[in-house]
Amino acid sequence: MDLDSIYLSLKLALWTLAIMIPLGVWCAYRLLNAGSMKAWLEAGLALPLVLPPTVLGYYFLVGFGGKTFFGVPLVFSFTGILIASLIVNLPFAIQPIQRAFEAIDPQIREAAKVCGLSPWQAFRFIELPLIWRGILSASALTFAHTLGEFGVVLMVGGAIPGETKTASIAIYDRVQSFDTAGAGKLSLLLLGISLIAIALSYGLFSPRNRHRPTGKR
Amino acid sequence: MLKLQISQTSPMPLQIQLACLPGELHALVGPSGSGKTSTLRAIAGLMGVDEGLIQCDDIDWFNANHAKVNVNLPTADRSCGFLFQQYALFPHLNALENIAIPLRKHYPDSSERLKLAQQWLDNLGISDLSQRMPQELSGGQQQRVALARALARKPKVLLLDEPFSAIDIPTRQELYKTLASIRKELNIPILLVTHDLKEASLLADRITVIDQGISLQTASPRVLFQKPRNSRVAELVGINNIFRGVFSAGALSLDGSPHVFQVVDKGKIPAGQKVAWVIPQSGISVYAQSTSRTLAATVNQLSSIGQIASIQFLLKGSEVLVNWEASSAEIKRLAIQLGSEAHIEFDAQQIHIMPLRPINDPRRLQESGNTSAL
Repeated sequence: MDLDSIYLSLKLALWTLAIMIPLGVWCAYRLLNAGSMKAWLEAGLALPLVLPPTVLGYYFLVGFGGKTFFGVPLVFSFTGILIASLIVNLPFAIQPIQRAFEAIDPQIREAAKVCGLSPWQAFRFIELPLIWRGILSASALTFAHTLGEFGVVLMVGGAIPGETKTASIAIYDRVQSFDTAGAGKLSLLLLGISLIAIALSYGLFSPRNRHRPTGKR
Repeated sequence: MLKLQISQTSPMPLQIQLACLPGELHALVGPSGSGKTSTLRAIAGLMGVDEGLIQCDDIDWFNANHAKVNVNLPTADRSCGFLFQQYALFPHLNALENIAIPLRKHYPDSSERLKLAQQWLDNLGISDLSQRMPQELSGGQQQRVALARALARKPKVLLLDEPFSAIDIPTRQELYKTLASIRKELNIPILLVTHDLKEASLLADRITVIDQGISLQTASPRVLFQKPRNSRVAELVGINNIFRGVFSAGALSLDGSPHVFQVVDKGKIPAGQKVAWVIPQSGISVYAQSTSRTLAATVNQLSSIGQIASIQFLLKGSEVLVNWEASSAEIKRLAIQLGSEAHIEFDAQQIHIMPLRPINDPRRLQESGNTSAL
């Protein structure tokens, strides 16, 4: 089995998570008070949902082809597919967190202010514990979506073994070379990982688990 | 002491002046959308205003004139406790942790914070609720926890935004008692927003009546009910015998009737001035027989609720309606029934005369600055 590609997919998904979740929390927080620009910003951030991955990949190639980021080429490299993955995942990460922020009663925020909390303290001690389900949901979606991403990764990264050839591309490769058994094994593994990610997130969401996170306050 | 003089034109007009002394419970009353809550929010810094002054213990919290903002402290730096109508407890924290949150500013040690928070729970008689989550508490219990949280940071002003409106009546009575006892200990200005006049007159030392964003009158409940500044205040405080007439050197006429009353001329109203006037319930007497001082009337409407009856009389030879409330026993004694005749006496001493100004008169804006009763 092509374990390199599985490892690469997991590495990409974890890197995407590590960057995307803090970025998603920041974007969702800023969107709360975006004023008249909010609708435009939301539309822009939701664009990857409706845009064909090949179109995104094409513009990425045109825009970043031949360019480097701290000496690392931006196309046909891991850095390239990571940046592309971040762009593709923007709506999957931001929207659940944004919904969670919006679900907080505005009076709760006002209560935090009249309790003398600074904006950072209000975020850290009041808002963050209240949006953790949104963050979990965003993490599960981003992780599972990155594992399955195909079009944009293929366009931006090509299929360089060990560098950009992720599991979903490896499956495509196997099928092209009539190795259906190999494709089947990889598919089953990806299915299992995705299932665990989603089940974990749904399990934590279920009503019987709706207790508050524990921790020192 | 809390001093407030704020104004703005949009999104809603607001022109409020008031002062609240330490230990004073000052109620803001008025119809829905009159600007009561906006006033409270402006004091806490939760809402901006165009210009004016908000000062607490001689420290400016807000100071702006001609759209130039000199001082505008953020909410967190205004030492105020705020009680919300819907409690606004932090849903992920238990009662004790909720109260510990405002202590974060001055007590970095979490065990010390929790100890102080427990003391507040003890003070308010809810020690046993410390580990309960907000959703496990009744409305009254939540409001007590919210009150403890508002007081925990030792605020210089306590702001109460319709805190009792979502609570059942027996629990409300208990909370009134709690409020009455803590206000003695606190000795800070307390502002209470309510649309319930009964509640305001029961709890408050002084009441400011607000209508369409303008403070119309500040007075003690007794003065407010007996001597409203103008006919709009009289309407807002629920006085149902508001009449119109002309005042001329001690003679007060009653529009729609030939009657004239002799009242004391304090020299404040020019002769021939059209006025509104009110008379409290205690100034109206009803008799079965006529005397030289009574006016003949017929019973126009009669409705009784329990032991109290509400009667509307029509003064004979006029279109003037007089409202009166009496006990069922009194109704029986006077043999009052629909269409029957009765004789009404107005105690001229208790008549209060007010300027007559339409509600949209811009002059009202100017006079709102002067809060003394006529």
